[in-house]
Amino acid sequence: MALTETRPDTHAHSSTTGADGGATAPTTVDGVLGTGDHKTIGRLFIIGGVFCLIGALILGVVAVFYANNFDSLAAGGTDYLPQIWSLSRDLALFGGLAPILIGIALYMVPLQIGAPSTAFPRGAAAALWTWFLGTDLLILAYVFNGGPGGGRADFVVLWAASLAMMLGGLVWAMVCIATTILGARTQGMTLERVPHATWSFFVFSLVGIFSLPMVMTELLLVFLRVRYLHLPVTESASLTSVVDGMSLAPAIYWLGIPVLGMGADIIGVHTERPIKFHQPLLVAVGLFGVLSFGVDIVGLSSVRGVDFSNGALVVGLIIAVLPVLGVLALAGDSIRNGTFTPRAALIGALVSGLLLLLATAASLLALVEPIMSFIDRNITDSIDMTNTLILNGTRFHEGIRALVVGAVLVAIIAALHHWSTKIWGRRMAEPLGFFAVLAAAGGSIVWAVGEIAAGFDDQPWLPARATEDFNSGLATLSLVGVAITAGAAAILGANMAMSFVGRKQAGSSPNTWSGTTLEWATPSPPPIGNFPAPPIVASPTPLADGELTYAGLEASSADDAEQNESEQQ
Amino acid sequence: MTDVTPYDFIPADVAPATPARPRLLVLATSLASAAIAMGFMGLIGQYVGQRADVIATGERWLPDGVVIPLTQPNFMGLTLALSVITIWWSVSAIKNDDRPNAFIAFVISLVFAFAYLAQTAYLFTIMEMEILASDRAVLIYGIVGSHMVLTICAMGFAAIMALRTLGGEYSARDYEGVLSSALFWTMTVSLYGVLWYAIYITK
Repeated sequence: MALTETRPDTHAHSSTTGADGGATAPTTVDGVLGTGDHKTIGRLFIIGGVFCLIGALILGVVAVFYANNFDSLAAGGTDYLPQIWSLSRDLALFGGLAPILIGIALYMVPLQIGAPSTAFPRGAAAALWTWFLGTDLLILAYVFNGGPGGGRADFVVLWAASLAMMLGGLVWAMVCIATTILGARTQGMTLERVPHATWSFFVFSLVGIFSLPMVMTELLLVFLRVRYLHLPVTESASLTSVVDGMSLAPAIYWLGIPVLGMGADIIGVHTERPIKFHQPLLVAVGLFGVLSFGVDIVGLSSVRGVDFSNGALVVGLIIAVLPVLGVLALAGDSIRNGTFTPRAALIGALVSGLLLLLATAASLLALVEPIMSFIDRNITDSIDMTNTLILNGTRFHEGIRALVVGAVLVAIIAALHHWSTKIWGRRMAEPLGFFAVLAAAGGSIVWAVGEIAAGFDDQPWLPARATEDFNSGLATLSLVGVAITAGAAAILGANMAMSFVGRKQAGSSPNTWSGTTLEWATPSPPPIGNFPAPPIVASPTPLADGELTYAGLEASSADDAEQNESEQQ
Repeated sequence: MTDVTPYDFIPADVAPATPARPRLLVLATSLASAAIAMGFMGLIGQYVGQRADVIATGERWLPDGVVIPLTQPNFMGLTLALSVITIWWSVSAIKNDDRPNAFIAFVISLVFAFAYLAQTAYLFTIMEMEILASDRAVLIYGIVGSHMVLTICAMGFAAIMALRTLGGEYSARDYEGVLSSALFWTMTVSLYGVLWYAIYITK
C-alpha cells in the first residue's frame, strides 16, 4: 500500500475502547508512533506545540532580559542574544503556535465537514514526525553553538536544514488539511457551508502552502552559502533575517487567520446564536488571508528591509484592519442578541479577536513616517521630517509580534476549552481557563506596550542590544509582559495535563455546548471513522435544522446515530 | 425498422450515477506543486534581484572565465518538452484502458528525464564554475540543483505510478495517480522554462 492511499485509521491491537463503546485511541507506544488516526496526530501536534511554546516564551524572557541590559555582557563574554532571540522567535512561531493550530485543524476539520478522516492520514503522520524531528534538530543545533550568531559553521548549517525540515513538515500537514477541506466534505457540505473554523483553517493552510516554501528556499541558500564559506557565521543579522518574511506584519497575520474563524464558531455556540451573516464572514476571513499573503508578496523586499515606503504595503496594512473589525462586529451582534454565558472559551474568543484588532491597528503607527514623507515630497516640502515618528527598524515590530502571539495564544486557549470534550474526552478546568486567558491577554499587552514604547524610544530592532540610555522602566515592562505570557502558556499546559489525568471522562454526550455544527453530532471523543455514515447537510448549521440524516442510513437524530455507532462497535 | 438510440435503453427513473470519488491525490498534488513552484520562484527571484544589483554596479554577473553555452540548455528544454508530451500520452492511454501504451509512455518519459539530468551534469562540467569561488556560483548551483532534485522526485512519482499502472491498479475508471504524476511532471518542466530563461538565456 502506498503513501497515497488511505489505510484504516488505527490498529485494533493497539487501541482501547472508550467508556461510550465507541471512542478509541492508540495507547501503546507503537500504536501512537505508527498511528494514522487524524485525532491522535492532531493531539500530538497540540501537545508538542504547547511544550515548544512554553520553552519559546521562557527563552523570550531571557532574550528580553539580555537585550535590555546593555552592560550584562560588556565584560567581554560571548553575545548569545542573537541565538537566544532567534530560537525563541522561531520556536514560538513554527514550533509552537503554527503546530498547535495545525493540530486543532487536523483534529477538528474532518469532524466539522463530516469526513471519516483527514485526507492522507499517513501523510499527516509523516508531516508530524518530520516537524518533530526538525524541531529536535533545531534545538540540537543551538545546543552545539549553531543558529544565527553561533560559532560553529556545521551547526549553523544544521540550523538552516532543521528549520527547513520543520517548515516542510508544516507545509505537508497544511496540504493534507486543505485537501481534506476541498475533497472530503460530506454530502451537501459546499464550501459556502463549511463552519467558520474550517474555512479559516483552509485559508490559513493555503497562505502557509504559498508562503512558507519561500522561506524554505531562502534557508536552502543560507545552507549552501554557509557550507561553501560565502556567508560567515558571524553575519548573524543576515541569518536571523531569513525568517523576517514570516515574522513581521503583515505576513505574521497569517497566524491570526484561524483566530477569526475559531472565534466566530465559539462565539456563535456559547451565545446560542450562530453568527448572523455566514458568507460575509467567510469573505472577511478570506480577505484577511489574502492581505496577509498578497501584500507581503508585493512588498516583500520592503519588509525585508523594514522599509514601509511600499505603497501596496501601506494600503494593505490599512485594509487589514477592516476584516478583523467586520468579524468582531458580526460577533458583537451574536453577543448582544444571544445569551452571554461567561465561559473561558467565549471570553477567550472575544479577547483574541480584540487583541488581533489591536495588533492590526497598532501596526498602522509604522505608516506615519512614510505617509508624512509622501506628503512632504508630493504636496508640501515644509514638514520637518526630523520630528516625525520613525518606527521602522526599531523594537516596535517586536510589540506587534507580541500582540499577534498573544491573540493566537488566547484563541488557542479558547479553542482547546471549547473543543476539550472532543479532543481530550474531558472538560478543561474553567477557573484555570479564565486565568490563562487573563494572563495571556494581559501579558501580551504589557509586553507589547514595553516593546512599542521602546520603539518610540528609538531602541534598535532585536537582536541588537538596547542603547545605554534605555529607560529601565520600559525594559522591566516588556520583561514582565513576556514572563506573564510564558506563565499563561504554562497554565494552559498544566490545565491540559490536569484535565487529562485528574478529571473524570465527560462521557459520550456529543453536544457539550448545544453546538449546531457537525462535530457536535459525534460522541466525545469521536470514534474511529467519526460518523456511522456520511451525514447529509443542507445548511451551515445542520444540527439546528432538525434531524440529521446519514447517507445509507435511515433518517435519525444525532443521538440515534451515536447509538448506531455503539452497536456497530 | 424503428430508430433506436442508446438513450432508449436507459429507463427514465434510474437514479443518476454516484458522483466520482473526489480526486484527493490530484488536489494534493496540485497544492504541493503550487508550494514547490512558489519556493522555486522565490529562488529565481533571489537570483534575478542579486543579478540586477551586481549589473547595476557595472560588474559582470557570471564569474570570470565562466561561459554558459546555449546548446545544452536548449536541448535540455527540448528533451523536457518532449517528456511532457509522453507523460500526457500515458494519461491518454490509461483513459482508454490501454495499459501497455501507458506503461511505454511512462518509460519514455523517464528516459527523457534521465537524459535531461545527464545533459545538466555535462553542462556543469563544461561551465567550469567552482562553487567555492563565488557566491554567484552557489546561487546558480542551488537553483539548477534544486530543479534536478525536483526532476528526480517527479521521476520517482512517475515510476511508482508506472508500476501501479502495470499492476492494474489504474484504469479508465480511476486514473488519478497517473493524472497526478502528469501534473507534477508538467509543473517541473514548466519551472525549467523559468530557469532556462532566467539563468541560461539572460546569463
